[in-house]
Amino acid sequence: MKQFTYIFLSIILVVTSGIDTFAQDAQTLLSKMDEVMYSPKDKQGTVQIILTNRQGKEKEREAIFKQKANKSLYRYTKPETQAGIATLSLPDGVMWLYMPAFGKPKKISLLARSQAFTGTDFSYEDMATTPYSERYTPKFLEEKVDRYMLELVPKSDKSKYSKVVVALDKENYYPIKMEFYDKGNRKFKEATYTYERIGSYWNAKQVVMADLSKQHMTKILLTNVKFDQGIPDSVFTVENLVPKEEKK
Amino acid sequence: MEKLAKTILKLRWLITIAVILITVFLAYQIKFIEINSDVVSALPDDDPDVALFKKIGSDFGGNKIGMIIVEAENIFDNDVLLDVQKLTDTLSLLDGIASVTSITNILDIKNDEFGFEVGSLIDVYQLPYSEEQLKQLKERVISKDMFNGVIVSEDGTATLILVTLTNDADIQTAGRLLIDKVESLQLKEKLYYAGMPMMVTAISELIASDLLKLLPLAFLVIAVVLFFSFRSLRGVLLPLLSAAVAIIWTLGIMALTGYTMSMVTNNIPILLLAVGSAYSIHVINKINQVKEADSRKAILTALSYIFIPVTLAAITTIVGFISFVFGSYLTMIRDFGIFTAAGTFFSALMALFFVPAVIDTFSFKGRKIKENKSEGRDSLLAKYLLIPLKNLLFKHPKYTLITWGVLLIVSAASVMLIKRSVDVKEYFKRSNPAWQAEEIMMQKFGGSKPIFVSFKGDLQSPDVLNAMLKTEKMLKENPNIFTTQSIADLIVEMSDALGEGRKIPSDRDKIEQMWFLLDGNPALKQIVSDDLDEGLIITKFASSDLSEKKEFVKEMKQFINDNSHGDYEITYTGMPFIEMKMDASLIQSQIRSLLIAILAMIFVVGIILRSISTGVYATAPIIAAIVVLYGVMGLTGIPLNIVTVLVASIALGIGIDYSIHVISQFNYSYRNGKTLHDALDDTITISGKSIFINVVSVSTGFLVLVFSEMVPLQYFGILMALSMVGSGLAALTLLPVILILVHRKRLS
Repeated sequence: MKQFTYIFLSIILVVTSGIDTFAQDAQTLLSKMDEVMYSPKDKQGTVQIILTNRQGKEKEREAIFKQKANKSLYRYTKPETQAGIATLSLPDGVMWLYMPAFGKPKKISLLARSQAFTGTDFSYEDMATTPYSERYTPKFLEEKVDRYMLELVPKSDKSKYSKVVVALDKENYYPIKMEFYDKGNRKFKEATYTYERIGSYWNAKQVVMADLSKQHMTKILLTNVKFDQGIPDSVFTVENLVPKEEKK
Repeated sequence: MEKLAKTILKLRWLITIAVILITVFLAYQIKFIEINSDVVSALPDDDPDVALFKKIGSDFGGNKIGMIIVEAENIFDNDVLLDVQKLTDTLSLLDGIASVTSITNILDIKNDEFGFEVGSLIDVYQLPYSEEQLKQLKERVISKDMFNGVIVSEDGTATLILVTLTNDADIQTAGRLLIDKVESLQLKEKLYYAGMPMMVTAISELIASDLLKLLPLAFLVIAVVLFFSFRSLRGVLLPLLSAAVAIIWTLGIMALTGYTMSMVTNNIPILLLAVGSAYSIHVINKINQVKEADSRKAILTALSYIFIPVTLAAITTIVGFISFVFGSYLTMIRDFGIFTAAGTFFSALMALFFVPAVIDTFSFKGRKIKENKSEGRDSLLAKYLLIPLKNLLFKHPKYTLITWGVLLIVSAASVMLIKRSVDVKEYFKRSNPAWQAEEIMMQKFGGSKPIFVSFKGDLQSPDVLNAMLKTEKMLKENPNIFTTQSIADLIVEMSDALGEGRKIPSDRDKIEQMWFLLDGNPALKQIVSDDLDEGLIITKFASSDLSEKKEFVKEMKQFINDNSHGDYEITYTGMPFIEMKMDASLIQSQIRSLLIAILAMIFVVGIILRSISTGVYATAPIIAAIVVLYGVMGLTGIPLNIVTVLVASIALGIGIDYSIHVISQFNYSYRNGKTLHDALDDTITISGKSIFINVVSVSTGFLVLVFSEMVPLQYFGILMALSMVGSGLAALTLLPVILILVHRKRLS
């Protein structure tokens, strides 16, 4: 009987420690992912956004971006009609918008975080610069030949997602694929990442986000990417939104 | 004829088996028949108004918007808002639903201490709770044209949830799913469903339930009539069986050829039951009448006698139905013409081939010649109705004529009073929730019938946007238009929020840059094209009144004329205009199909009776009956609609048979040396009886439609019964008088 109890307890111990290990693993894996994604001190480059609608028609946008910690600045160069528009994202969901035709920067309120970001299939939520581990509770799903599967459940009930299933590259902890599930637990968006190594960092050179129900697709291409250029904090200020030549 | 009759009996097994096999095959096909009550889909594509309406519907998704009306004492209440939010969230997850817009997620453009926002009116995660917050929300809603009367009624007691179905969604499936889901939430607010998809779902369900309810009832009623006429199982079963076969064949072929059940073709089964059983009744009646000991001989004699009259009766009825193929605007009426004609053909086929074959197959023993038990009843009919009638006609032919004359004058004068109704709402009984929903839409949200004014041009040009605003201003001057929505309104709102004032910025750059924030917003899909080269003003017209619609079209045309510009092209379409077209088409259809039917009838009957003038006499009573029918419609207010428009031509096709009966019998007796008096005596007593029975059975069949859930079908039933009685009566009173007068003239 005693022996039996031991066996029983050790089984429980193994099982629960297993759960614990998995949970640990999930958390560690997500932190590693964050580390890979958010480790550069700063990042800059050109982003090209190509929107493809149901009929296969394309629209293109281009911006020069600068990113540091959880601040980012986008200055649009294409389409021509929107050239010069700039956005500045600051911590705590503060966002400033500069439209040259209107002169002064405007603070944008982000009540509707789940809303699509200016015509793309990315929502403001997807564009957030806060690390994933701060926004999601991870759960380990399974280990595959080349990847780990994680399930991320949003911590905030304001999220549009019920969960995000992430496929993490085993080698470098960069996400290969993210599947977004709506509150009805149906997969409705899917992001696929292609990445390259630049210096000591991994960088997503292409992200394709497809909205499965709208049959709409957004492709993001990053070029001229440079890391750790020592971008000063003064770049990420409201004053800096307005280009110098305009101020004169 | 006898040869044919012999062949029929010889092939009795083949006929019986063939009928069974075909029937089984086609009965199986009926499973696949689809119900489609979408009036828009029945509109002809070659009509420019319709084409534009359908195009806008598919480009902007306007035809696929269903509405849920949430009614409560006060919409600005936390519990109500919670329920609206619950509905919005739940419905947006359903299959076939592209987007859901409600007060809890409607687009709003704000500029406050938190910054400038293109977001939603309410933060769904922090619904207004305190009295102060609710008051603020109410004030904002009332102050904005974007919301007031659009999403919340002006009195604050009702709010709309707009549900856009996906392009590929099946309207009925999605509609039903939506209703079921909403009901399952068991909310305490009063909920109604409006808009085209919901209406189509409601009508389709009524069509299905009507068929299931009315068809058995019609069978039962006709069985009773048959029982009293024949008092034998065979007399009841065979006509019903052959009608059932004709119905199965017709519906089976409809399914096989991909035609759908509409709210017009819906009455094909009952119509075929009423019309089709009559042919078998004729055949069985004749077989019963033949005093012959040998069953087969009796069938042969009867068949060779009845073959031609039944064929002729079928031909005239088919001609009546075919007239719809050439005279109709709505495709569902054309389909109705084709398939009722086919069904009538099948009914005649059954009566002439199947019924004799079955009787022959199943009567092995020699038959007893029945003493005619019904003699007593018949003489009652003769004594109290036919003989007095005959006497009256002879004594006072002129009075009869004058009575008809007065009736016709009164009726003709009342024709002008006939109302027309093309309003889908009027398909429903007032107790039906769909009717109430439309009524609430009318009272609280300016109607549910959309008008689209399309601007083709550069939607980022200040000129084009200002032209849109000007058009909206003009529209709102019309007393039947309460609100309008367009991209120009949104640009004005944005301009205001950006501190540029409530106007379209004169600087094109500003508009272009605003698109940075507007782009990709799902609410825009309904008012502007992806390429910003076409924009819509969406509005609703609150009145069903034809003259008001006409006035509006006149204003619109004038406005477009005065404001045409090289930079943009303005076109407009909408349900009210399509209804105007349908309305005009009703009269046109009516006149055209009736004219075709009358001419064809005179021609066919002329050939049958070998004299065109006889053709004219024969048609006179039924035309008189139709004039009276119109008179009744004018006086009682029964409107001409897409179903009642069918009555006249159908009545003509069926009712003409009574005249043919009367004239044939009269000619037969008169040519066989009887005097005018005796010939008419024969005619009224002999033909009178069969006409009476036929009128009773066919009318009863049609009267079953009174129990329909759809108002037009109820009217159709009443009017068909009325015109059957009218044409029977005319054939037995007006026609004999015409014959008396014509022959007296000839004699003198």
